[in-house]
Amino acid sequence: MEGPFAAPAEHSWTRVSPRLARMRRTILVLIGIPVIVGISVGLSFVNTLIGVGAGIIVVALVVAAWFSIGRNLRSWGYVERDEDLLVTHGAMFKKLTIVPYGRMQLVDVEAGPIERSFGLVSVKLHTAAATTDAKVCGLTPDHAGALRDRLTALGEAHAAGL
Amino acid sequence: MVFTLFTLSERSTGLGGGLHWGTFAVYAAIGILVIVRGLITVAVTRYHLMGGELRIDSGLLQKRSKRIRLNRVQSVDVLEPLAARIFGLAEVKVTTAGSERSAVQLRYLALSVAQALRADLLGRSTGVGNGAVEAPERPLIVVPHGRLVGAVLLEMVSWRLLLLAIGPVLTAVGQQNGHGATIGVDIAVFAGFAIVLGHAAWQRVNSLWEFTVSESPDGLRIRHGLLSTNRLTMPPGRIQAILIHQPLSWRPLGWVQVRMNVAGYGGATSTKSTMLIPVTNRAFAESLVGWVLGGIELNAIPLTPPPGRAALRAPLWWRAELAGSDGRVFVVHHGLLSRTVDVVPHARTQSVRLTAGPFERALGLATMHLDSTQGPVKTRAAHRDGAEARAMLDMQVLRAQEARHHGSTPAAFGLLLPR
Repeated sequence: MEGPFAAPAEHSWTRVSPRLARMRRTILVLIGIPVIVGISVGLSFVNTLIGVGAGIIVVALVVAAWFSIGRNLRSWGYVERDEDLLVTHGAMFKKLTIVPYGRMQLVDVEAGPIERSFGLVSVKLHTAAATTDAKVCGLTPDHAGALRDRLTALGEAHAAGL
Repeated sequence: MVFTLFTLSERSTGLGGGLHWGTFAVYAAIGILVIVRGLITVAVTRYHLMGGELRIDSGLLQKRSKRIRLNRVQSVDVLEPLAARIFGLAEVKVTTAGSERSAVQLRYLALSVAQALRADLLGRSTGVGNGAVEAPERPLIVVPHGRLVGAVLLEMVSWRLLLLAIGPVLTAVGQQNGHGATIGVDIAVFAGFAIVLGHAAWQRVNSLWEFTVSESPDGLRIRHGLLSTNRLTMPPGRIQAILIHQPLSWRPLGWVQVRMNVAGYGGATSTKSTMLIPVTNRAFAESLVGWVLGGIELNAIPLTPPPGRAALRAPLWWRAELAGSDGRVFVVHHGLLSRTVDVVPHARTQSVRLTAGPFERALGLATMHLDSTQGPVKTRAAHRDGAEARAMLDMQVLRAQEARHHGSTPAAFGLLLPR
C-alpha cells in the first residue's frame, strides 16, 4: 500500500545509499552465523533432531531478515519541499513524517563507528516536540553535509519560534 | 566532598562496629555542610535585569553566568515550598522553551519582592516595558474545596481500589481453609495499601487546593497549593495544546479536567504544572478552552468517525475516535469509558506524522499524529481511511503553514470573558 505514503505530487523520494543494506547484512551475518552454530550445536547435545530443527528455523529467520533488510532499505526516502521536509521509512510499520523548516530546532549529523566504517551518516531533525521522528539513515557523508547545510539555511529563513 | 565523607563513615562502621558516635558526628557534619553549601549558593547568586535580558551569576569557586532572553520566556512562576513559606520566602522560576533543565530558579526572595520581580519579568517578556508593576487580575474560577476532594476521591475509583481488597480476600481464603492465623498479616496488607492510596489522594488535594485561574493583561495566572503554593503566569499564546479529560467515575456528575502542554514544562515531571483546571463542569471547560485559544467554538467543529472497518482493529472504541478540524484548531475525541478531547491550534503544531502497522495496512487504514511539545496532550486521529488520513495530513501541513505565516495567536488576552 504505497497510497497514503506516496511522495507528494510533483516530487519523488530521494532514496538512501544501498550501503545501508550492506552494513545491516554484514551485521546480520556476523551475529547470525555464531547464533546458528551455537544453537544447533548446543541443542544437538540434547537431541540431534532438535538441534537440526532449531538450526533450520534460525537459518530461515536469518534469510527472512536478509530480505527484509532489502525491503526496509527501499522504504527509506525523503523529499525536500519549499517549506518542509518529508521523511518516510518502514516496510512493515510505515511512517511518514513532515517537518516544517520553521519548526526545526536543530539538525544532528550522527555516525557511529560501524556506520563510519561503511561510509554512512544519518541526519536527524529535532523540533520542540520529542515525538518528532525525522531521521534520515544511510546517507553518504557528502550528501549528509549538503543536506544539513541546506536544512539549517532553510531553518533560519523560515524560523517561526514556538 | 560529601561522597568521601560517606565512604569514610561506611568504612568506619564496617571496621569498628562500635563507632556509633563517630558515625553520628560524620552524618551531623554532612548535614551542616549541606546547609552551609545551600547558604553559600544563595549568598553568591546574583541576578541582573538588563533590558530584555535576565542574567544570573552564581558559584563561589566555579563562576557560572546564565543569560535568558526574556522574549523567549514561556512562563514565570512564584513557588512557595513549605519550608520557605514558613519564613515568608518564595522562589521565582523562569521557564524557557526547551528541557526542564533550562528553567532557572531564583531562590529565595521575600514574597513581595518575588511578586514584583515576576511582574517586571512578565512586563519585559511581553513587551510592555521595564519596571511593570503587578497587573490587576480577575479570577475566572476557584475550584471549591468539596468538589476538589470529591473529584480526587472519585478519580481514584479504579482498578487501584482492588488493592484494598487483597487483605480481606486473603483473610476469607484463610478462614475457608481453616487457618486464620495470618489475620495480622492481612490487616497489615490492607493498612499498607490504604496508606499508599490515602497518601496519593492527600498529595493531590494538597497540591491542587484552592486552585484559582485568573486572567490578567500579562497572561493567564494559576495559583494552587495548601502547604506549598505555586503561582504560575503564562503569557498569552504559550499554551501548545489542551485536553479536556473526563474519567469514567466523573461522568455521572458531568465533571471534567483540563490539562495543557506548555513548552518547557516536562511531561512526566509533575501533573500540577500542566493542570489548567483540576475539576469543573464541561460547559465552563469548553468555553475557557475556546477563549484561551483565541475564540474557538469547540462544539461547532465538524467531527467524523473512522470507517466501519476500523472495528476490526479497535473493536469497541473505534466509535469513540472522532477527529475534525476548522481553520484554527485540530480536535480529536477518544476513549469510550474515560473520555478525552484533544485540541491543538494549527499555529502550534510542530511536525505531523502518518503511521500504519501491518494490521492497519491490511485494512487500508492509517493513523495521523500531531506532534506537540512534551506534555499530557498527545494527539492522533486513529485508524482513518488511508486516503482520508493522507488528505488530513496534507491539509494540516497547509493550515500550519498558513498559521505560521500569519501568526494567528492572540497577542494578548483581552477582557472578553466567558460567562
